[in-house]
Amino acid sequence: MIRKTLFYSPLLIIILLGILFYYSLNSETKSNSPLIGKQIPEFSIERLLNDNDQFSSKDLISSETINFINVWASWCIPCRAEHNVLELLSKIDNVDLYGINHKDTKKNATNFINTLGNPFREIGFDSDGRTSIEWGVFGVPETFIVHRGKIIYKHIGPIHISELEDTIIPIIKDLN
Amino acid sequence: MARRVSELLSYLGIVSLCICLLVSLAQIKIFYLKSNVNYINYFNLSLIQFVSCLLSFLILIYIFITSDFNFSLVYQNSHTEKPMIYKLSGSWGNHEGSLLMWILILTIFNFMFALMSKVNIRLTETTVGVQSFLILGFLLFLLFTSNPFSLLSESPNEGLGLNPILQDPFLAIHPPILYLGYVGFSLIFSLAIAGLLLNNIDKNWASIAKKWTLSAWVLLTAGIGLGSYWAYNELGWGGYWFWDPVENASLMPWLAGTALIHCVSILEKRNTLQSWTVLLSILTFALSLIGTFLVRSGILNSVHAFASDPSRGLFILAFLLIVLIASLFIFARKGPFLDKEIKYHLLSRETGILVNNWLFLTVLFIVFLGTVYPIFTDIVLNENITVGPKYYIFSITPIIFLFIFAMIITPFLNWSTNNYKILIQKIYKPTLLSVMLIFSISLYFDKLSITEISLLILSSILIMANLNSNILFKNNSFYLTSNIGRALTHAGFALLIISIIANASYAKEKITQAKVDDKIIVGNYDFIFSSISQEKEKNYHKIIANFEMQQHSGTLKKLSPEIRFYNNPPTITSETSIARMLFRDIYIVMNVPENQEFINVRIHIKPFMNFIWVSILMMMIGGLFSISYRIKNS
Repeated sequence: MIRKTLFYSPLLIIILLGILFYYSLNSETKSNSPLIGKQIPEFSIERLLNDNDQFSSKDLISSETINFINVWASWCIPCRAEHNVLELLSKIDNVDLYGINHKDTKKNATNFINTLGNPFREIGFDSDGRTSIEWGVFGVPETFIVHRGKIIYKHIGPIHISELEDTIIPIIKDLN
Repeated sequence: MARRVSELLSYLGIVSLCICLLVSLAQIKIFYLKSNVNYINYFNLSLIQFVSCLLSFLILIYIFITSDFNFSLVYQNSHTEKPMIYKLSGSWGNHEGSLLMWILILTIFNFMFALMSKVNIRLTETTVGVQSFLILGFLLFLLFTSNPFSLLSESPNEGLGLNPILQDPFLAIHPPILYLGYVGFSLIFSLAIAGLLLNNIDKNWASIAKKWTLSAWVLLTAGIGLGSYWAYNELGWGGYWFWDPVENASLMPWLAGTALIHCVSILEKRNTLQSWTVLLSILTFALSLIGTFLVRSGILNSVHAFASDPSRGLFILAFLLIVLIASLFIFARKGPFLDKEIKYHLLSRETGILVNNWLFLTVLFIVFLGTVYPIFTDIVLNENITVGPKYYIFSITPIIFLFIFAMIITPFLNWSTNNYKILIQKIYKPTLLSVMLIFSISLYFDKLSITEISLLILSSILIMANLNSNILFKNNSFYLTSNIGRALTHAGFALLIISIIANASYAKEKITQAKVDDKIIVGNYDFIFSSISQEKEKNYHKIIANFEMQQHSGTLKKLSPEIRFYNNPPTITSETSIARMLFRDIYIVMNVPENQEFINVRIHIKPFMNFIWVSILMMMIGGLFSISYRIKNS
């Protein structure tokens, strides 16, 4: 009897796995970050282009505009490809683009900005990547949309021009 | 005019798929009715099934080669400037095309099986029926959710292109070969279900199953090997195996399939372990399906993320669950009555193989846990965790010891008796030799740990034992027996372990910035950054950095890593430059120049890389020998 019941165990395992996979399939489409809808993490890091002052979460909370936070690095090839799109993004009304420079050297990061142009209002210099971890960043580039200190949306990977038009701009319109 | 042709091709493609669908229904009906149809009927049907599917696949290839942008699939995945080979590989480098290819391979195996198994007609027609059920399911999926032949209302002039990372010759053949392996196991699955339904799992079943299992295994091994080779060449991380969830997804069916090969041998020789063999057959295919699901659904974050699409994941999941729940239900009802008990002797070959089976399952469990547990924590605890290589390395290494130990001993034991005299005769010389050899080597190279030394000793015993025993040569002539396949595969595995250890222990790496005329020193080599240049190719332009590799002030080789800027879609990739030498690879990859003066370079010295590829090749050739031996003697 026990032996016969034992033969049902593979069936049971596959059903349990099926349930797990079903839920993971659904949760993936709902939100891509546990931080969405939550207050931004507290941070304070030095500025890349200005040694005097710190770039901190207070700057974002007090801001009335729609804030974009782009995590990038000079060694990251997709960031380079994304740069043109960021230039476009920064010119949209009521939008401020901030950058977090991830695990980089000051020299390379400054070079990157000097060569390709600076679409950012402020750039935080996160050399050890600690602030990026607070934001739940997997890899670069990643972009967060923040409004009144709350994370609205997270984009993983470079923003393509079509994604700017189809996804990002509607979100900006909604928030306005 | 051109529009008319496209419409015609689109109809033709869909109609031939519908024919394939109808034939599959007919095949299912034959085995369901248990009618006494003769052999010709289902053989002819499986031929029509195969030909109709081949026709629609050829149409798919044709529209990609001719860049027919009336088709939405071609528009999304191709571009006129793309070289021909990538136009070709583009046809299966996307969801719809790969699904059609998957179905084509299912029908190929079905046809081959109908062609080659004429002995047990009832078993063959039932297997073909079960296989047709799988074909039917995938066809419905293709036709209802992912029609490859849908037309655009207006024809664009140019396509959107193909991910440049995928534009690599190895990647053009890696997915088809991997699919051949995965789908090959579908046939074992169908065979097992047919055997269950007919209560016909015995020695004869095992000797049919063994051939097909070996074939699928060789193909899957090749698929994994090619994937690893691609990652090493293309991804620019200098590694060949990353324990990436998607790689694990292909490793898991391989582990289960390897266990299955050994288990089928016991069934064939001793007529026992029936239910276990059937369960392993189901498990192997289940893992192939789960692997496909994990890759395609986008549940996993990995280098393969380009393949993902959550909406289609649901269908694959539903299909997977229907197939597996149905088959495991049949297994639960019929399985308990299959087994024939025998007496096991502690030092008999079947005991050794059984131990090996448990080891395989343990490794499989470790890999499965590492792959699926992060999904579990994500859902249940809402916590993202990543499982790194250390988890796998630390948990699998101890098992490798037991593995090699069992592999040394088991082939020299007899079936069904306690006899260890031959064993001692065969392995005492290799043992002595290996211990001396490895100890003297480890005195010379001081970096090896105790674990590594003992693994090296065991591996070397395994190689020598396989070569030493007069398996390969008898009376001074080449003697082809079933043992030569095993000897090659096992020796290949040992060589793989040796190469992995050497590669991991003596790899050197340097990451630095370089100006033109700079000299970088890594290990015994000097690298002179001599010049930088630009070139324009058909569908990208590239920046090339030229390095001269020197040793003792003599130039050995020129290395030139590249950065490629693709236009369609706009993407930048790094191309590695690799100097392959017998005992080591020199691997250079660079990053986009920051300005005119500096580039970032990474230089790896990777010992024994060639031996890793050779050992995988040895295992495959061993498998081929076993197959040819079986075909010859059946």
